[in-house]
Amino acid sequence: MDIRREDKTSHLFQRHARHVRITLAFRAALTGTAIALCVGVLLSALAWRLGWSSSYRWWFVLAGPLGASFSLLHAHRNRWSDLNVALYLDGCLRSSEAITTAVGLNATGADSPARTVVMRDAAEALKRVDAIRPRLRVLRRHHGMIPIAALAFVWTVRLPMRVTVAPPTSPGTNLVSVADVQGLEKVIALDALRTPDPAQRERLKRIAQDANALRDRLSQGMERREALSELARLRDAVAAERMSIGDGERRAGLEVAQGRLAQVPALRRAAKALGDRDLTRFDDEMQRVAGAREQRDRDAARQALEDAAQEAQRAGAPDVARALEDQRRLFDSREGRAQVLRDFGKALDDQLSPEAKKELDALSSGVGNADTAKLSKALADALGRLTEQERARLAEKLARQAEGDPNVSPMSKDHLRKLSKQLETDEGKRNLEEQLRQMANAPDQSEESRRQRSLDDAERGLGEAERKLGGLPIPMLGSEGSSNQRGSGSDESSSDQSGAPQAGSHHDKGHGDHKGSTAPVDGTELRARAGGKINPAAPMPGVVAGRGQARIGETANVRGSGVLGEVGPGELGGVERSEIPQEYREHVGRYFSP
Amino acid sequence: MTQSAASFEERLALAARANGELRAALASVLVGQTEVIDQVLWCLIANGHVLVEGAPGLGKTLLVRTLASSLELQFSRIQFTPDLMPSDVIGTNVLVADTSSAGARHFALHKGPIFGQVILADEINRATPKTQSALLEAMQEHAVTIAGVRHVLDEPFFVLATENPIEMEGTYPLPEAQLDRFLLKVLVPAPSEDDLTQILVRTTGHEQVQPRAVLKRDQVLELRSLCRDIAVAEPVLRYAACLVRATDPSAESAPEIVKRSIRYGAGVRGAQSMILASKASALLEGRAHVAFADVQRVAPACLRHRLIRSFEGEADAVTTDQVISQVLSAVPTRPDGIEKAVRKG
Repeated sequence: MDIRREDKTSHLFQRHARHVRITLAFRAALTGTAIALCVGVLLSALAWRLGWSSSYRWWFVLAGPLGASFSLLHAHRNRWSDLNVALYLDGCLRSSEAITTAVGLNATGADSPARTVVMRDAAEALKRVDAIRPRLRVLRRHHGMIPIAALAFVWTVRLPMRVTVAPPTSPGTNLVSVADVQGLEKVIALDALRTPDPAQRERLKRIAQDANALRDRLSQGMERREALSELARLRDAVAAERMSIGDGERRAGLEVAQGRLAQVPALRRAAKALGDRDLTRFDDEMQRVAGAREQRDRDAARQALEDAAQEAQRAGAPDVARALEDQRRLFDSREGRAQVLRDFGKALDDQLSPEAKKELDALSSGVGNADTAKLSKALADALGRLTEQERARLAEKLARQAEGDPNVSPMSKDHLRKLSKQLETDEGKRNLEEQLRQMANAPDQSEESRRQRSLDDAERGLGEAERKLGGLPIPMLGSEGSSNQRGSGSDESSSDQSGAPQAGSHHDKGHGDHKGSTAPVDGTELRARAGGKINPAAPMPGVVAGRGQARIGETANVRGSGVLGEVGPGELGGVERSEIPQEYREHVGRYFSP
Repeated sequence: MTQSAASFEERLALAARANGELRAALASVLVGQTEVIDQVLWCLIANGHVLVEGAPGLGKTLLVRTLASSLELQFSRIQFTPDLMPSDVIGTNVLVADTSSAGARHFALHKGPIFGQVILADEINRATPKTQSALLEAMQEHAVTIAGVRHVLDEPFFVLATENPIEMEGTYPLPEAQLDRFLLKVLVPAPSEDDLTQILVRTTGHEQVQPRAVLKRDQVLELRSLCRDIAVAEPVLRYAACLVRATDPSAESAPEIVKRSIRYGAGVRGAQSMILASKASALLEGRAHVAFADVQRVAPACLRHRLIRSFEGEADAVTTDQVISQVLSAVPTRPDGIEKAVRKG
C-alpha cells in the first residue's frame, strides 16, 4: 500500500510538474514572441529606411515565430527539474518543503524511516494544488508588447517607399558620359592634316591627341564642366591655328598683300577675305575671279596675286606669300576649267537642267560663286546622253563658237577647236565626258583653303560637342564675313529642347526670361575675329559697312561737326586707331556711322 | 501500513505529544521564555549542549532544574568559581578506610557533579581554562578520565552552561574553539511586564509549583534517535550550507556587513548544528521533514557564538545577531527564478 501511495504521489506530482513546465514554456514563448516582434519592427523600419520595398519587409514578420521557437527551445533546455518544481509548489502551498523532501527521497531512493510520512505529507499538499491553483501566471506585463509590436510592424510594412532626393550638386559637376562625340572626330582628323609649317604640324598633332584623350575620358565619364572647359580649350587652340596666318609679326605682310589685292576691283572681296584671314572665302573669291568673263580682269588678278605674294614675302609673311603663290598656281587651272565649262555649257545649254543652267549663269556672269563641280557633272551627264547626231551637232556648234565670236580670245578659240575635234569621235566624246567627271570630282581648292576648311570643320565640331554637352559655344564667324553676321548661333544654342530660352543660373529666382529683345538671326555660324595689331603705317583695307574709310595719321580726338546726322571725316578714323578690341569695333563703329 | 511506517508515525505522534506535555510542564513553573524553552529543547533532542547568556535572576537555573525534573533526569549544578579545580567538576579518587579490615585503605571514586544527566554549569567563564576544559572534554566525549580510568557518562548527557555578561572582570571567556562545541547559544531576554508580574505572583507567595515528570529517560533517548531520522531535502541542506558560506568574509556571496565586520565565519560545526537543530525543530512540530523555516529559525542560535567579529565590527558595535539577520536576508531559500515565480506567480 505504501508503494501504491508513493506511486500515486509521484503520479500526482508529475501531473502538476507537467502543468507547471508547460505554463513556463508558454510564458517563455510569449516573451520570445514579444522580443522578436519588437526586433522585427526595428528591422522593418531599418529596411524602410534603406529603401526596401514592402514585399521584402513583410518577411520580418517571421521574427515572431522564430522568437517563439527559440524561446521554447531555450525553455526546454532550461526547464525546471523535479526538485525546482517541488520547491515552487512548496513555496506556493506553504507546505514546509514536504513535496521537495518527498521528491528528493524518491529521486535518491533512500530508505529513510521518515519516507512514508513524508510521502503522505507531500500527497496531502499536492491535493491542495487543484484547490489553490498555484499562482503561476502565463501572461506578464511585457507580453502586452505583442499586440503593440504587431500593429507597429504592420504600420512599418505599409509605409510608402522613401523618396530619396539627391543633394543638389554644384553646377557642372554632374558626370557626363558620351559614347560617341562626332565633333571630336573632326578634331582628331587634324592629325593627318598636311601643313608646310612643322611647328604648326606639331601643334595640330597635339590638338588631335588631346581630342583623342578627351574622347576616351568622355566615354568613361567625366565632370561636365571639366569636359566643357577642355572643349573650349581645344576650340581656342583650333581657332588660333585657323587664324594663325599672318598673325603677330607677319601682320604687316598680310596687310601689304591685302592692299595690293585691293587695288584690283575684282579682287576687293578676296582682299577683304584675306584681311579677315578667312582663307576659305578667299579661295572661293579667287575661284570666282578665275572664272571671270573678262580676260582683262583675270590677267589683272593673276598679276595682283604675283605681286602680292612677292610683297608679302618681302614684308616678312612667308605663310601669306605661300598662300598667294598657291592661289596663283591654281588660278590658271581654274581659269581653264571655267572656260571649258562655260563653253560646253553654252553649247549644251538646251540639254541642261534648270539647276545646272543656274550654275552656268552664275559662272558666266561672274557674280556669286558657281558650283563648278555640280556644273561639271551636269555637263558630263548631258554629254553622255548625246546621240551621235547630237554629238556631231555639238562639235559643229563649238566650231562655230570658236570662229564666230570675236570676243573670244585666241586661246579660247584654240580650246574650242580642240573640243570640237574631240567630239568628232565617240572615243573623243568619252574622253571629254571622263574629263568632265574628273573635273567634277577633283578638288579645286588650295592647300591653305583645304587646311582651313579642316580647321573650320574641327572648330564647328567642337562647337557641336559643346552644345551636345549643354555648353554655349562662342559663335564662329561665317564665311561671308563678320560684318554681315547677325549672331545666329548664340540664340539657337541657348535654347533648350522645348525651344524656350534657358535661365542663366539655377540661383536665379526671378520670373523673367533671357530671350532678349534682339530678333533671332538666320545665320548658320559666326566666327570670332582674333585681335591683331594695327599697323598705322599701312593703308586700312576693305570697306566696312557703317564705317567710313579710315585715313592714316588721323586720331580720335577730332572735333565733330556738331550737326546731327553728320560725322566728321576724322571721327571715323579714331575708331580704327583706338584700343577697342577688333571684334567689338564693328559695334562701336556703328555708333558713329552716318 | 507497514510496521516500520506505523512505528515511525507513532513515534512522531509520541514526540509531538511529549513536546506538548513537556512545554506544559515547563510553562507551569517558568513564566514566558518560550523561545528559550524551544531552543533548549532543540538542543536537548539534538544531543547537543547549550550556552545560555543572560543577566542573573532570569531563571536559568530554574529552567534547567525544571527541565531535569520534567524528564526524570538527574540534575546537578556546578557553580564555577575561579578556584574551582577540574577534580571538583569531574571527581577524584579519595583514599578511604576499608571497613572490612582494620587499617586497610583503598581508593574510592568520588564522582563529581559532572556525572549527572542534566548539568547546569553556572558562570563557566569564571573558572580557569583548565577547569573549563575538564567540562568541555566531558561535553565532547560524554566520558571523563579519572586517574587513568575512563568513565562513560550516563545518557542523555546535557549541559547547559551560563555566562554572566555583566561581571567580566577577572573572568576567562571561553575561547572560540571551545564555544564551537556548544550547539546553541541562547540569549535569555529580560521578562516583559506581564511576565514579570506573573513571576512575582508565583515566587513571592507560599505556594511553590513543583514540576511533574512527563518524560522518562528512555523517551528522551527515543526522541534523540527520532531526531536523526527526520528527512532533510537536498535544497534545505544546500540552503544551510549557503548560509554558513555567506558568513565567511572571503566568500563572494557574503554580504557587505560580513566582509566588513566578521573576521572568521561559522565553520562546519555551524552547519551541522543548524541541521541538527532544524531536525529537532521539525520533530517538535510533528513533521518528518525539515523546512527552510526551521533552518531560518535555528540559524541565529546556532551561529551567533561562532562568528568572530573583526576590529571594525567591534568598533562599530555590530552584533553577530545583526550580521546573521542580514545574512538570512541576503541568501535566498530557492533559486532566483523559482523565488520570483513563488513571489509574483
